[in-house]
Amino acid sequence: MIASLPVLSFDTAQRVTEILLALAFLQQSLEHLRAAAKERNLFVLRIALCILLLTGMASLWATAGLALLSLVILHRFQGPYNGGSDRMGLLILFCLCLSHAAPNQTWREVALGYLALQLTLSYLISGWVKIVNPDWRSGRALRDVFAFSAYPVCEDFRSIARHPRLVFAGSWTVMLFELVFPVTLLHPAALIAGLSIAALFHLANAILFGLNRFFWVWLAAYPSIFWFQQRVFF
Amino acid sequence: MLKSLALIAPALIPSWRFFDRITASPRIEFARMAQEDDPATGATGATGWREFRPRPQSLSPAALLRRLFWNPAWNETLFLTSCAERLLEKPTAHSIDEISARIAGGLDPRAGGPFFRFRLVLVSREGEALQKEVVYVSSPYSMTER
Repeated sequence: MIASLPVLSFDTAQRVTEILLALAFLQQSLEHLRAAAKERNLFVLRIALCILLLTGMASLWATAGLALLSLVILHRFQGPYNGGSDRMGLLILFCLCLSHAAPNQTWREVALGYLALQLTLSYLISGWVKIVNPDWRSGRALRDVFAFSAYPVCEDFRSIARHPRLVFAGSWTVMLFELVFPVTLLHPAALIAGLSIAALFHLANAILFGLNRFFWVWLAAYPSIFWFQQRVFF
Repeated sequence: MLKSLALIAPALIPSWRFFDRITASPRIEFARMAQEDDPATGATGATGWREFRPRPQSLSPAALLRRLFWNPAWNETLFLTSCAERLLEKPTAHSIDEISARIAGGLDPRAGGPFFRFRLVLVSREGEALQKEVVYVSSPYSMTER
């Protein structure tokens, strides 16, 4: 089973990550073209750098340019525009940039490996901070998210808070999945299943809470973990 | 340089503490005014306030699918919620300017008075009931000056 799976080389994982990140950044940047001129100009430049990254002709310069521009954008908004999704995008970007700039293959692999490690931690820590909270274990926290947080995209979705059994089951499904995720690194098929479930989880968040940027940017980190699993475990 | 490091560090060494606890959530409301010093919308006034970009009652499956690819208004609303949280935690001109400018940009100048204020309402749960508390009222802003 393991032998029959295609090997994902470092170069392929790096290139697919670049393409997915460029597409995710393009999606985000296009949304800013309706903004005022100063904000719009920053994202026009970002679109140009994303197109350069997509071509694959100058990946080091494209990622370095995007990293510098990201600092300007962070100053413009005095932090991330969209919290966790922007931060994951920046993490992927800096890891890619370092993976191109590193002096040798070992350090290049450390850069992409760090991204895979952080992707794993993004699920593990999210699950841990929830399960140690009694409100999450009882389902109360997720009910509150639906009842009064700023996230549900329409009033109809707030009614989910009135179904405590459904919310309780949802809370435990999310917590257990997040905590178990690192175990999927032990087998290629388990990782494919784990990432498929994770993608569905992000899709649900995009639909229920409008977190569309999370969906696209987390997908961009997935090639790194496929490569990391083969590099470290098999 | 230090400021840049402070901004980039949470991305390079993330905490990943998503939704670890659910706290009171701010809503942004605004009121149009005919005069800059309209007392009805001052710190104690309670009339004419409307939620900025209230969420729709429902969304069709097609709209939900479309928002997966194109969701600028909602993402801007989430950014303004972040600005509101920052404003309550540590008021800065940046947060106030972002909220007031984006409210002004979203209003029809002909559909009300030339001035407006915004306020922040914290929504929280007390027992089984939701409660609202006004925690910030802005200075008046002129729409024509923006």
